[in-house]
Amino acid sequence: MANNIAAQRIQREFKEVIKSDEVAKCAIRVELVNDNYTELKGEIAGPPDTPYEGGNFVLEIKVPETYPFNPPKVRFITKIWHPNISSVTGAICLDILRDQWAAAMTLRTVLLSLQALMAAAEPDDPQDAVVAKQYKDDQEMFRLTAKHWTAKYAGGPGGNPDFEMKIRRLTDMGVEEDQARVALSSYNWDLERATEQLFS
Amino acid sequence: MASILEIIFELINNMLQFFRLGKKSISNSLNIYIKSNTGSTLSIELDPKWDIKNVKEVIAPKLGLPPNEVKIIFAGKELDDSITIEECDLGEQSILHAVQSRSQSKRSRPLSESVANLQLSNISENDDSSSTIEEQLESSEEKGIKNTHFYVYCSQPCKSVRVGKLRVRCANCHSGALTVDSDPSCWDDVLKSNRITAHCEETRCETGPVSFAEFFFKCAEHTSQGEKDEAVPLYLIRPNISHVPCLACTDISDPVLVFSCEERHVTCLDCFRQYCVTRLRERQFVSDDRLGYTLPCPAGCENSLIEECHHFRLLTSEQYQMYQRFGAEEYVLKAGGVLCPQPGCGAGIIIDTDCKRVQCVGGCGVRSH
Repeated sequence: MANNIAAQRIQREFKEVIKSDEVAKCAIRVELVNDNYTELKGEIAGPPDTPYEGGNFVLEIKVPETYPFNPPKVRFITKIWHPNISSVTGAICLDILRDQWAAAMTLRTVLLSLQALMAAAEPDDPQDAVVAKQYKDDQEMFRLTAKHWTAKYAGGPGGNPDFEMKIRRLTDMGVEEDQARVALSSYNWDLERATEQLFS
Repeated sequence: MASILEIIFELINNMLQFFRLGKKSISNSLNIYIKSNTGSTLSIELDPKWDIKNVKEVIAPKLGLPPNEVKIIFAGKELDDSITIEECDLGEQSILHAVQSRSQSKRSRPLSESVANLQLSNISENDDSSSTIEEQLESSEEKGIKNTHFYVYCSQPCKSVRVGKLRVRCANCHSGALTVDSDPSCWDDVLKSNRITAHCEETRCETGPVSFAEFFFKCAEHTSQGEKDEAVPLYLIRPNISHVPCLACTDISDPVLVFSCEERHVTCLDCFRQYCVTRLRERQFVSDDRLGYTLPCPAGCENSLIEECHHFRLLTSEQYQMYQRFGAEEYVLKAGGVLCPQPGCGAGIIIDTDCKRVQCVGGCGVRSH
């Protein structure tokens, strides 16, 4: 019975997303991961006029047995540089996925809310403190970093030769690429400080 | 020879029986009590096919009154002569009130009949947006819904959620010999006191002829056990006349649970149970000072706490026990008390402020500091 309500509900929401205008505009997408509707794969297009524009972000959506009375468990699979999303685990800090969840919300509203979160970060309620600090202290640095991450992980446009060069310097020293990128991003692309942190 | 005589005898006997019962032979009898306003109670067998006129003819001689001076009152209405017993939704051992009256008052169908068809809304009368009873009646008839039910929690003897019947009595003397001046048009009329005026026929009643109606509910699924046999109305459970889908599973079921939030969010009963169990396991119920241990609308609306905690009787008895236990524990903790740490003891202790050492006396005897 418990599973039935959740599965039945997800089935309908799945159809709702597929038929929605946003799918027609390629803004959101969902795919089934297994047959019993307990896990799905979501996709969000990076919103226009943000550093995420042009990127495609994949989400892991796990539906609890107690759905829709408890929220789905959602995290970013695609690495993203955002104050409310962990740059390491992809965990999301969003009120509707926690205590503000209501049974009337759906997969569609969750995906759209995440898209809205990407367009309007909440640095005062951060998931990733390092990103949030950069966002508050140096907006331009944040924008460039987020854009670089989008190009690297989400298939976004444009590269950043300066950033690429710095990463290569670190990988040449034997540092793993993702690790190098996190360190450099965290230290505002200051190669010296990133190196110091990595080898201390 | 003997056999022929026997046949003739039987024939005569049958004819006699036919005459004795006349046109009113009882095919399917119903035992009903007739209570008069002079205090006497008669027990009679009625045929559900009889109309009220027949009933008056049968009981008038027993009360020593002419049939045309008898008023039959049931569920807040004087019954019209043409109504049949089966139309009145009378259960076995129901009570009809017979009062003497020369004056002809407005006769009508019983309250249970006229009100049963209504979707008693939570909206108050003065709310302009609410449709009139007639509109509601029409719309429910259009959709072919004949008998809309009330749902109650029957604590004795059914111990479960049942279909209920709406009944009315005098707010002052509690007599059922009362006719209401108007039908209740919303749940507030039924649940709050002194909203519907009525005419009490009880001679002993001190308020005089004008009184207020007090509504109550009976379980429709067991034989009435007298006037004290009542059930708790589960007024959030309603027939789903406008086919609203459940907000959780999106199925359209009937009946449904309608939350008291402004949006009137609806869940089916299965989803309501699931919702309660989910919140219960996480101890996410709300401990409200006025209402007790309860839940809001699952859509998270404001002012949507369930006020009548008997709605949680929709849970299985094990789940309900869990609800009661958690509710009691929350209460003890909220009142500054402690719970006995011994597993399974379950005792709650309210301690004095200067007390440093507590012993669980009533429960298991475990000591803690």
